[in-house]
Amino acid sequence: MDILNLLLQGISVSIIPVNLLSCTIGVLIGTLVGVLPGIDTVSAIALLLPFSYGMDSTAALIMFAGIYYGSKYGGSTTSILINVPGEAASVVTCLDGYPMGQKGRAGAALAISAIGSFIAGTIGLIGLTLLAPPLAQAALVFGPPEYFSLALVGLILLSRLTGTSALKSALMAVIGIMLSTIGLDSLSGISRFTFGIDELDRGFDLSILAMGLFGIGEILTAMTHAEAKPDIPSVKFRDLYPTKKEWQRSITPMFRGGIVGFLVGLLPGPAATISSFISYGLEKRCSKHPEEFGHGAIEGVAGPESANNSAISATMIPLLSLGLPFCGATAILLSGFMIHGITPGPSLITERPELFWGLIASMYIGNVLLLIINLPLIGVFVQLLKTPLNILMPLVAVVTLTGAYSINNSMFDLIWVIFFGILGFLLQRVGFEPSPLIIGLVLGPELERGLTQGLIICNGSIWALITRPITATILSIGAVAILYNFVTWFTKYDNTRKELDI
Amino acid sequence: MLEKMISLLFLIGSLTYLYWAQEFTFGTLGSPKSGFLPNLAGILALILSITVIFRQFQYKKSANKDAVDWTKFLFILIGLVFYLMILSIVGYFVATFIFLFYLFKVADTAGWRFPLVVSFCSSAAFHLLFTYYLKVALP
Repeated sequence: MDILNLLLQGISVSIIPVNLLSCTIGVLIGTLVGVLPGIDTVSAIALLLPFSYGMDSTAALIMFAGIYYGSKYGGSTTSILINVPGEAASVVTCLDGYPMGQKGRAGAALAISAIGSFIAGTIGLIGLTLLAPPLAQAALVFGPPEYFSLALVGLILLSRLTGTSALKSALMAVIGIMLSTIGLDSLSGISRFTFGIDELDRGFDLSILAMGLFGIGEILTAMTHAEAKPDIPSVKFRDLYPTKKEWQRSITPMFRGGIVGFLVGLLPGPAATISSFISYGLEKRCSKHPEEFGHGAIEGVAGPESANNSAISATMIPLLSLGLPFCGATAILLSGFMIHGITPGPSLITERPELFWGLIASMYIGNVLLLIINLPLIGVFVQLLKTPLNILMPLVAVVTLTGAYSINNSMFDLIWVIFFGILGFLLQRVGFEPSPLIIGLVLGPELERGLTQGLIICNGSIWALITRPITATILSIGAVAILYNFVTWFTKYDNTRKELDI
Repeated sequence: MLEKMISLLFLIGSLTYLYWAQEFTFGTLGSPKSGFLPNLAGILALILSITVIFRQFQYKKSANKDAVDWTKFLFILIGLVFYLMILSIVGYFVATFIFLFYLFKVADTAGWRFPLVVSFCSSAAFHLLFTYYLKVALP
């Protein structure tokens, strides 16, 4: 009942015209980001950070959250129409969405995807509403050792789940931690790895790093790849009605995807992408027509598209209640919070309840807005797909560079953005995922503070540090993940050895 | 090849970081100092980079990626460096106009009039937006 009252108060905050407008702008930009291949959610939020300076903090955060969950709605459009995923989380939608489009059912696939996203998004939001406050309450008793274990396990799970190679992800996360140690040490006040350069004293700005790795990196990728002009089919509003059979086959996958997505979203890593793959596999297993998968099965669109939207809400739980982002997009959202002088975490709900509940309530409203906006405007979004990248990308490059400069009015930041942009481009080329680096950079200070203060509290006893009840529970999860990783690796190695008859 | 070069770069980076980390006091378990985490992170990065390189030599399969137009990449880099160099000399508007026009041409935008007009209008719009709306002191 209390939660319902607080949510109603949140709704009263989120329907203030300025907040409602921010929510609408956020979900519209989010949809555009999802629709346009070559622009990533993280880079979109990063490059819009400077534009939010003059905004009210609640309105700005509502807008950023809108971009985040809105992008997952738009991501399926290109998957279905031109077989190019607008978002990593919509890769799996190509498998059945595009064949549906080839059979003349693109409209139905888009409608099912939007409705599934709405239903699952709402499931995820209910989970967020119910879980975030008690978790924040519980986290009030967390001390440095507990935060250390959370950050450590977050990084372990992240390495396990992100990208193609756990080893490469782990390396990227450690490099992120190393970068986080550059600048003034908050505990001792000593300048570390700054080599007398004053600008390095404040350390690496998260938004600068994200703008480089994701923004400039993506621009370089888009501009250096030969682009074949896709043949985009036109979709009219009347084409959007799914048949009764398509409805019946989609409704259970939508709910199932919603639940799967939410559970996966609680884990560190690119939850939206992983949940869509898990949901696809699950739907194929549960379907009465598994042979249709890959040839235009509606369940293959409904399940994954629902899962990735639900996962988004779940990824907001650790950010809002613990202040710990476990994926690239929430890390950059954290940067948005900090630019406005807000520290998400256990105290947010008590110190800024209007912001906490206003943000959650705006997500419910944004979810409805997305459904209302997406279906009638599908024709407009299809037209946007015809925007040539050779015009768009140079403009995005200038906005990114100007945005990066405006954060600290510093040419030094511009140099770093370009450096990290080149690095991001090269890393992506060779299969090193940059997201763990960003998470490492964000969780690094938390890890260091937790570890050093925790060891002092425990008189230097590592055993005492890791056997505190909550710490032990959290670390056990990490240990299980490592063990699972090791067993999987060993089984694969053993199978390869047998195949080669060594 | 590029993959191995990047991994080697990480290995050299980790070694250099670890070398510089020796400047800071490690402390003890009961009283960790500012060199505590940098040393641990440096050692871990070193181990991970060596393992990544070892695995790259063990499994010679390279990531199958789309072809990159490296000439275009080089030209974009030159443009970015040039933009950085001229920004504080000629000011934001002129530098952005030249940079945008250059990027449009690098990105194979057809004709001269269209890229010139778009570059001019966009530079003016960005200049107004950042200077007057966002109150940024542009160079």
